[in-house]
Amino acid sequence: MSILSGNGTIDKQFLKDRISYLLREKCYITISPDVMYLMEKSYEEETSDSAKEMLRTMIENVRMAENQKKPVCQSPGFPTAYIRWGKGTDITGLKDILKEEIVNDTKDGFLRPSMVHPLTRKNTGDNSGVGVPNMELEYEPTLDFMEVLISFKGCGAELGNAIKIFTPAQIGENAKGIKEFVIDTVIKAGGKPCPPIALGVGIGGQMDVAAKLSRRAVSVRKWTDHSPDPEIARMEEEILGMINQLGIGPGGVGGKATALAVKIESAYTHIAICPVAVNFHCWVARRGGMRIYPTGRIEYLFEGKDKK
Amino acid sequence: MAQAKKITLPLTDETLKDLRAGDNLLLTGVMYQGRDAAHKRIVEALDQGRPLPIDLKGQTIFFMGPSPARPGKPIGAAGPTTSIRMDSYSPRLIAEGLKGMIGKGMRTKPVKDAMVKYKAVYMAAIGGAGALLSKSIKKAEVVAYEELGPEALRRLEIEDFPVTVINDIYGGDLYEEGKAKYQVKA
Repeated sequence: MSILSGNGTIDKQFLKDRISYLLREKCYITISPDVMYLMEKSYEEETSDSAKEMLRTMIENVRMAENQKKPVCQSPGFPTAYIRWGKGTDITGLKDILKEEIVNDTKDGFLRPSMVHPLTRKNTGDNSGVGVPNMELEYEPTLDFMEVLISFKGCGAELGNAIKIFTPAQIGENAKGIKEFVIDTVIKAGGKPCPPIALGVGIGGQMDVAAKLSRRAVSVRKWTDHSPDPEIARMEEEILGMINQLGIGPGGVGGKATALAVKIESAYTHIAICPVAVNFHCWVARRGGMRIYPTGRIEYLFEGKDKK
Repeated sequence: MAQAKKITLPLTDETLKDLRAGDNLLLTGVMYQGRDAAHKRIVEALDQGRPLPIDLKGQTIFFMGPSPARPGKPIGAAGPTTSIRMDSYSPRLIAEGLKGMIGKGMRTKPVKDAMVKYKAVYMAAIGGAGALLSKSIKKAEVVAYEELGPEALRRLEIEDFPVTVINDIYGGDLYEEGKAKYQVKA
């Protein structure tokens, strides 16, 4: 059985149903399983009693939301959809489906209306809006599936984000300059981004490339994974360790668990520069992803035997 | 870990005398909910000498915008929003008699100074725990700025609403103290 029509378009109703399920079961009412694993691990390893209690309460909040099918956080954040597809499928109509589902889910109380004109601040009332959701499209001809990953990232966290265009001299020995910039950015943010956070770092390209890489890094990767690049993997571990020595703690009230993960993505850049972007993600990781195969088979991301 | 103190709203100077940064509280009584847009309107009214929709004296404001309520429930998910965005407005409200603020994340110096000068406290609710916090809100009604939707000013009746004191009237700051206590020195 193929859910494709003759020109490779996936049956519209099938796609709508799958996306609605992904949003309502994986995104709004829970956090991705890899993040829950890290929250529980942080609870075990936390050194401060009050921080431990806070983590316990945060975990309880997710269980409560799951059981009651209620939004786990009052803020829907800002939705970004990461779409990958290949020769075998066609994404015609996907953007409209995503826009429609978000409006429906708002009407049904899963999302607080939170999209406004940037200057007038007039709320659209239903989470519609120009540029909503943010669509990141990647065509890779060899892919035999359509991958749809939707991330609702909290925006209090956005207030801490920072970008700096380094000169080669400023990078420093063993990227000391870059590490200091990242740590300073985390210190300045304090408890604002709802710690324990995950940090996305984008390095290279030009300004916009680094910014996009920083969001992609923390939105699409499992927070439990390791970069295939050993240099980057080492830097991720090192910065994570440095952040968890700052003492900021869950909610910023003091403790060990300031960050759950640091994810770095990079691109080659020009000899004159090294752009570095730092992107905060709150602990309330509302994201879900799936691969849809032409046969109709669905594979969910962030889950499975290696959810750890 | 110390037991949470049960506190009845509205906060009085008497109550505030005994609160210290780091105290865990369970609040019962009436507080108001408002964020960026409502604060802007309140300060505009103060600037223009127009009456306010509520009497600020003795009150507590929770920086929050709720998700929609399910049928039969008073409110949807109700976790705190980032307080620093209200910092340009808070000192004014504190000078008018506001005694408590609830949100998340640090405040800037002018707000902290106002809290010491006029006696007010800033408390944090758990960031991201919107589903759980909503359970402590027994009644919610819009009292002003209804057209702002989630950003409207609401009156909330709460029972055992859990918060932690961040800034007390003596200049104590849990974000500073906590970080200093748990920071691993090189």
